[in-house]
Amino acid sequence: MTVWGGETDRATYQKRINLLVKKYPDLKVKLQLIPSDSYPQKVQTMIAGGKGPDIMQVAENVNVYSSKNQLRPLDDLVKSAGVDLAERFGGIGSLYSYQDKVYAIPDRSGAMIVYYNKTLFEKKGIKAPTAEWTWDDALDAFKELTSKGKTWGYGGAGWWPQWWSFAYQNGGAIIDANGKPAVDSDEVVEALQWAGDLVFKHGVVPTKAQYADMGTDVGGDQAFAAGTVAVNATGFWAIAGLTDTKFEWDIAPMWRGEKQAVSSFGSGLAISRTAKNPDKAFKAIDFLTSPTAQQQIIATGEDVPANLEVQKSEAFLKPAWMKSTVDMGVFGESSSFLFKAPFIPEWNEMQAAIDTELADFWLGKEKSAKKALTALQKSLESIVKPAG
Amino acid sequence: MAMSRLRRREALWFYAFVSPWVIGFLVFLLGPMISSIYLSMTDWDSFTPPKWVGLDNYVKLLTEDPVFWKALGNTFHYAAISVPLGLLIGLWLANLLNKQVRGRKLFRTLIYLPTLVPLVAASMAFRVVLAPSGPLNDVLGWVGISGPQWLLDPGWVKYALILLSVWGAGSATVLLLAAMRGIPQELYEAAEIDGAGPVRQFWSITVPQLTPVIFFNLVMGLIAAFQVFSQVYILTPKASQPGTYNASQTTVPYLFDQAFSYYHMGYASAISWLLFAVILVFTLLAFRTTRRWVFYETEVK
Amino acid sequence: MATVVSAGAPQKQHGEKHQDDGAKRTSDAPRVLRVFRATPFTYATLIVVSAILSTPLVFGVSIALSSDQTVSTNAFTIFPSEFRWENFTRVFGSDLPMGRFLVNSLIISVGSVIGQMVSSGLVGYAFARLRAPGKNVMFLVVIATMMIPTQITMIPQFILFKDLGWVNTYLPLIVPNFFSNAFNVFLVRQFVSRLPSELDEAAMVDGLGFFGIYRRIMLPMLWPVLIAIGIFTLTYNWGDFMGPLIYLNDESKMPLALGVQYITTTGVAGQPPPWNLVMVGSILLTLPMIAVYYLGQRYLYEMDISGGSAGVK
Repeated sequence: MTVWGGETDRATYQKRINLLVKKYPDLKVKLQLIPSDSYPQKVQTMIAGGKGPDIMQVAENVNVYSSKNQLRPLDDLVKSAGVDLAERFGGIGSLYSYQDKVYAIPDRSGAMIVYYNKTLFEKKGIKAPTAEWTWDDALDAFKELTSKGKTWGYGGAGWWPQWWSFAYQNGGAIIDANGKPAVDSDEVVEALQWAGDLVFKHGVVPTKAQYADMGTDVGGDQAFAAGTVAVNATGFWAIAGLTDTKFEWDIAPMWRGEKQAVSSFGSGLAISRTAKNPDKAFKAIDFLTSPTAQQQIIATGEDVPANLEVQKSEAFLKPAWMKSTVDMGVFGESSSFLFKAPFIPEWNEMQAAIDTELADFWLGKEKSAKKALTALQKSLESIVKPAG
Repeated sequence: MAMSRLRRREALWFYAFVSPWVIGFLVFLLGPMISSIYLSMTDWDSFTPPKWVGLDNYVKLLTEDPVFWKALGNTFHYAAISVPLGLLIGLWLANLLNKQVRGRKLFRTLIYLPTLVPLVAASMAFRVVLAPSGPLNDVLGWVGISGPQWLLDPGWVKYALILLSVWGAGSATVLLLAAMRGIPQELYEAAEIDGAGPVRQFWSITVPQLTPVIFFNLVMGLIAAFQVFSQVYILTPKASQPGTYNASQTTVPYLFDQAFSYYHMGYASAISWLLFAVILVFTLLAFRTTRRWVFYETEVK
Repeated sequence: MATVVSAGAPQKQHGEKHQDDGAKRTSDAPRVLRVFRATPFTYATLIVVSAILSTPLVFGVSIALSSDQTVSTNAFTIFPSEFRWENFTRVFGSDLPMGRFLVNSLIISVGSVIGQMVSSGLVGYAFARLRAPGKNVMFLVVIATMMIPTQITMIPQFILFKDLGWVNTYLPLIVPNFFSNAFNVFLVRQFVSRLPSELDEAAMVDGLGFFGIYRRIMLPMLWPVLIAIGIFTLTYNWGDFMGPLIYLNDESKMPLALGVQYITTTGVAGQPPPWNLVMVGSILLTLPMIAVYYLGQRYLYEMDISGGSAGVK
């Protein structure tokens, strides 16, 4: 079984596997942790080398594999095991489906959430962010929270889950219902322009140069922990880095635009085509995503378990290790307005194209979101082939 | 008759002695090369069986892939500056080290050190040094230059790469220095009697005597520069600086992405063959110029 | 194409001098020629250049000795301002089998070094001394292979090793070294062709076979070039990252160069990687190579018309 991540991830997966083996002594699972940077390449060489993992962790790139016939469709196994994905995982039960086949079972999930510096908010007399904040509310607060060269209101929206959330809030889409790229629509342009203006027009988000001066590999997550940005939108994992901050903080659901929308993070477990014993592999996945094993994900503070039952449990809402009171209900609240990002087979190329075409925009060299997205649309059209 | 038998025995021994290389060549190089030619004419994702597409990959690369051309352009740009610059600096350093310096072992080690440092460590340090308000820009600030955003500005990131390669210029001193020590002492003695100064002697004796090594370095340097990979991969990590990563994209990292991020193995193979063609052309061009400047001792004898 | 051979392998005949140590060459002489005299300016330049070149390294040491606090706030200084030596014990105390990584690095590097020394010596000697039809063409091919981008063969080689069942073993990293490489063959050939040929001619008259000549006469004289090749091979394989990344799957088989990358995963999520520990790993990775280089450097500088740079990178 291959997974990516760091030490916490290793420990958590291992604990869950231990529980599994205790219950089913006939199963043998060897955990292999691979640094995130080299995960895709390593898994590829393992599969190509004929020593692919039986179970592998997948996320947005699930269909990179499934479209190349590398993952075993799980529908029959799901059925014979009597698992109801919708009941167990809610809306994200079908997240990893492609052309009507299930390729992975959700394992970790969780919406992107808003972290805010409570101490600073109280000092400035600003009310905590809510799901009902509009773009204007957010901008006003960011302006209040910014003090030139020292602190910034917001961590930024250059990462796809961040600006895509705004695009979907504004009624846009990256790939439309017909599988065609749709990034040059007015809705997406407006959303990106808003996100870009936060940096270059209003100066409430640090520029890349300002981030680079804060240190190597410092981004919104690290800057928030250091207290230099007051608000940051990211995943659950940032909580682990915030246990010793010098200020008080809490989390909130993402604010809204025309409508509510926010990206979801997470990953699923898939069975590779080369797995010798898919039945056993599925038995393992079934157990790993059951409440007993999923408890561990929150107990170690690794991530949000995908299992809804666990998400609603006391163990999740009030984790034992949490030193301050954090509104964990935010995850449940956000789950009602998650948008489903297009996990297309050309995911990696799409991300590369986005990075290339928007590079100048995020540097402030290209001021017009319209121009940047028109170029991006053209380049996406050459990459993304509508399904079917 | 005895002579020819000896000759034949010698030939047999020759083939026996070089057999490791021959086997290695056939198994690890020629065989893979042939299958690479085949792969370059297929559409292959490394998982499902390859599909024959003929010359499509080459046609697409040459006519409708702007990223490939950009990457190739960046590679030229990088090679055109870093190779000559690295050679000049290497030559200069070697000349310094060739003098009667106390602690030369230490200096040689320090100058060669960059070659021994793992790239992970070197690039980490470089990213700190090249930060927008990092030490390098501070120094530039003292002389009134406001330094660029080395690693963030797509226009400057190439020069950051060149800087990293120049930092390793000391690796060239190994063979230059070795060759300098082979230059006959009498040449310098004669020049000194004629009253030529050290600078003059450097240009009229050392450099001409070294031209074969300089040439060898030039060719090897060109080949290495065209294949630049790890530096790009580590100095501008895709994850944290996606924009500049693509701006600094050179041919081999692009090839690598095609093969391992997008699973276009056939396409990647085609890129590698085009790259080989480019390297070949430039190497042959370099050889064409040798008559004009490379000096062989045999010619004066 | 004939120029390829003559230019790529110039027949420099410097005779006896190049074997002498450079220092001896002039210290024996009554006075140092002006061109070799080190002026204060020479020292000044060397010191400045060395300082600039070592800045990133000093930086690295400083980072390695920094506390986690300093790392997360990016408050590094060029010279170490604190000395957290416990970072070294922390690296060895982490979940990662650092000792095992070190042993793996040794296995791979030493295996490769032996392979290159044995094979390149034989092949290079044959190209320099023995006569056989087709030899020149073959040597031309040797030189030409240096131009082939390694990426061309990377994928098919992977398939080859996979079919041999060698994936996830050290074999793909070690075995190819037993078949010599062009650059090393070139080095040995250049070295041998500068050695006086009287000795092996005499041995031939004495009836020593070709292999006997190689083993008894040549090998003892080849040590300098073989050690140089050993150093090049060692530094290359010790730091190689791509090969192990592609071929090794089990953590327990990985070398230190890859292990250093794994250290980046030991941090806390949402925080920068533990750069201090990464630097400790890098230092552990670099120190042995510096020692090897320092001790072996005199052999490297005997490699007249070698091609150092390309072979090391």
